Amino acid sequence: MIARRPLTAIGRRALDGVDAALELGRVAVGTIVGALISYWRGPRRRGEIARQMYFIGNRSLLFVAVTLGFIGMVMVYQTCLLTTQVVDGRGQVGAQFARLLVLDVGPSLTAMMLATRVGAGIAAEIGSMKVTEQIDALRMSGVTPVDYLVVPRFLASVIMTVVLTMFGMAVAWGAGGLTGYYSFQINPRTFFDLSMVAPAHVWLGMTKAAAYGAAIPIVAGFCGLRAKGSSEGVGAATTAAVIGSSFAVLIIDFTISAIGLIIWGAGL
Amino acid sequence: MTARDGQAAVELEGVGKAFGGRRVLAGVSLTVPPGGRLGIIGPAAGGKSVLLKLIAGLQRPDAGAIRVLGHDLVAAREPELAALRKRIGMLFQNYALFDFLSVADNVAFPLLHAGVAADEIDARVAARLRAVGLAGSESKMPAELSGGMKKRVGIARATVARAELVLYDEPTAGLDPVTTSKIYDLLRADQAETGSTAVVVSSDVAAVAAFADTIAMLHDGRIRWVGAAAGLFDADDLVVRSFARGEERDGAAVLSRSVEAARPAPGAWP
Amino acid sequence: MIFRRSLTQLGGRVMAMARDVGGVFVLTMEVLRALIPPRLDGRETVRNLYKMGNRSVPIVVLTALFVGGLMVIQFAAFVKQFGARALVGWGTGYAVFREVGPILIGLMFSGRVGANNTAELATMTVTEQVDGLQALAIDPIRYLVVPRVVAMMIMLVALTVIGDAVALIGTMIMSYVVLDIHPYTVWYSLVDNLGPSDFLHGISKSLVFGAAIALSSCYFGLTVRGGAVGVGRAVNAAVVGAAVSICFLDFLMTYLTA
Ligand SMILES: Nc1ncnc2c1ncn2[C@@H]1O[C@H](COP(=O)(O)OP(=O)(O)O)[C@@H](O)[C@H]1O
Ligand SMILES: [Mg+2]
Repeated sequence: MIARRPLTAIGRRALDGVDAALELGRVAVGTIVGALISYWRGPRRRGEIARQMYFIGNRSLLFVAVTLGFIGMVMVYQTCLLTTQVVDGRGQVGAQFARLLVLDVGPSLTAMMLATRVGAGIAAEIGSMKVTEQIDALRMSGVTPVDYLVVPRFLASVIMTVVLTMFGMAVAWGAGGLTGYYSFQINPRTFFDLSMVAPAHVWLGMTKAAAYGAAIPIVAGFCGLRAKGSSEGVGAATTAAVIGSSFAVLIIDFTISAIGLIIWGAGL
Repeated sequence: MTARDGQAAVELEGVGKAFGGRRVLAGVSLTVPPGGRLGIIGPAAGGKSVLLKLIAGLQRPDAGAIRVLGHDLVAAREPELAALRKRIGMLFQNYALFDFLSVADNVAFPLLHAGVAADEIDARVAARLRAVGLAGSESKMPAELSGGMKKRVGIARATVARAELVLYDEPTAGLDPVTTSKIYDLLRADQAETGSTAVVVSSDVAAVAAFADTIAMLHDGRIRWVGAAAGLFDADDLVVRSFARGEERDGAAVLSRSVEAARPAPGAWP
Repeated sequence: MIFRRSLTQLGGRVMAMARDVGGVFVLTMEVLRALIPPRLDGRETVRNLYKMGNRSVPIVVLTALFVGGLMVIQFAAFVKQFGARALVGWGTGYAVFREVGPILIGLMFSGRVGANNTAELATMTVTEQVDGLQALAIDPIRYLVVPRVVAMMIMLVALTVIGDAVALIGTMIMSYVVLDIHPYTVWYSLVDNLGPSDFLHGISKSLVFGAAIALSSCYFGLTVRGGAVGVGRAVNAAVVGAAVSICFLDFLMTYLTA
């Protein structure tokens, strides 16, 4: 009897895990199919997508600017410290920084920030609709919650993540350039050097941004739709969304970077 | 589009439902004829709301059979259920109004998703809001309404699409007697107009007994008693009679027993 | 018209931000005052440490493993171009120990532990349990906030040490898989070129980030308003506040200690 307790507990947790994974899969497929259908037919709720885009942009513009700005300054600072230790490589810092920014840091860090901002927002919104039975009320009108709530956020998030990534990269680049100039006397002409950024880098970076933008609302929507209980349930859904979508960003980053390395190899 | 003659609008047989190993319903059987008015009473947390959600196809039973408006809800897949739900109206216990939509948009919602033309939507929403006494509140948001007003918006939303079956979860909880009788007048008028079937869950036994033609009492996860509403207060079953009359000693016994039943048995693994 | 509305909104947001920054500052002062004769609710601290560690070790280990591997992928093209194989350990170690490790582990910690803590305190606040404590003459700062701040600082430092080690393992694995560099080469490149100061630079950041995450998390949890929606909003605000603080403090500490 006692020996069976942990086993049943583990078994149930495993079953719950499988259940959750299937549910996540359903939300993901439902969202992507819904998005494709709405693309095919021309989105029925164009206004809603625009509204969500405005929400995402409005809520995260300042946040992305501040965080990416500081990150850009720190990156240039640390790189300059490192390169001035051995030989004076300050001339190369700007070009390398631009390459890394486009290839990885810009998209990934912007997305980490959006995972906390947008992911938490979506989960809190949908989660509180779930615990107040508004989701059931939607279903009473024959509406599919994924189509009605997740699809517009998904389309808006893919677009806005790409846009905000470009914005974040620009801010980080500018902030890095200022740091290089004021702290290490790097001439802006030398610093703002795009010679090491190839089209492949831009493609890879933007693909990452789009993939992050797709993953965040799916994970967050899934967490919100699973909320149970009342305030505690919404809190739990929100925290699950933050960590879930941050982790999704990490895994996607790793996967797409590895694929890029396989395709382009040394050219990257 | 009404159910075929002779076929029940709602038919439950041996329906069971558990949450995390906790039995809430254990073999509920019920039949509601088309155009009928069923009232469901029973102690708090006895599974009345769960029963309505099962009938609406919002949740699936663990055991038993459910037929609603000619559809087998156990076998039906989600698209079929979604289509069926459009023919059912539901007032939720806590209103479940869309907090991002105005009163008028809340009421218009079912019509919007039933493909009704825009000018007809406007006319029907206006008529419905007039009927529930909320003309003039069209552009208010749910957060600005009192509990009774939210209830009436919920009723308007549940009935605006002329559903064949309307499920009301506690339509008068927390309302004064005058408003309560007004709301039941409204339900009666709606039903006379559309010929719909009504299932009402209520803790206000006297009021629901006056409205319904049949009363069912849910107790210990089962239907303890079904009969003509008029006979409720003189039922042979002591538990039912004392619950209906709100008699203190026996009523307390009913309640405490149902709380006991709600607790998992010692040693049982959920 | 839209321009004016945006401007009004921006004004409102700046005011709200000023209020929150002020609020966190006041909370910091209160925490420090509660610690002046260093009295700490030991049991509550240990309970929080245990809960936080339990919750975050798996996610931090996974994060660090991926980050270690990711650094190699970013470095790989460079290595293939210039044959700088001996630099992999040094380059990735420098970046991970000083910057990437503390920041990413801090962000994940904030998402896991900080967010959970906000949800917990916010739920306690909306269900009036915090008022209940005060009615019993128990000081919420001393009983709720101080143990959490101390526990989060200790825990984030511990997690960063673990994370640094795991990231190193991730680096070694990916170097071997992708670049066919032996783990020894990575290890010696790291220990020959990096000193304890690089490691401590990151650790001291984690100590500060831990305090920032805890203060942001407790502040938004205790000032929540408005039921279920409010709890979700509080969590959102707490993680955003923590992320901004991490980026800002990272800059400050890099600048000051350079
Ligand atoms: N979705 C759910 N998950 C878990 N438990 C539930 C759920 N819905 C209802 N319950 C539980 O089932 C029991 C019956 O609930 P309910 O049908 O709301 O009772 P009432 O008769 O008061 O309407 C309660 O104890 C409730 O906690
Ligand atoms: Mg109920």
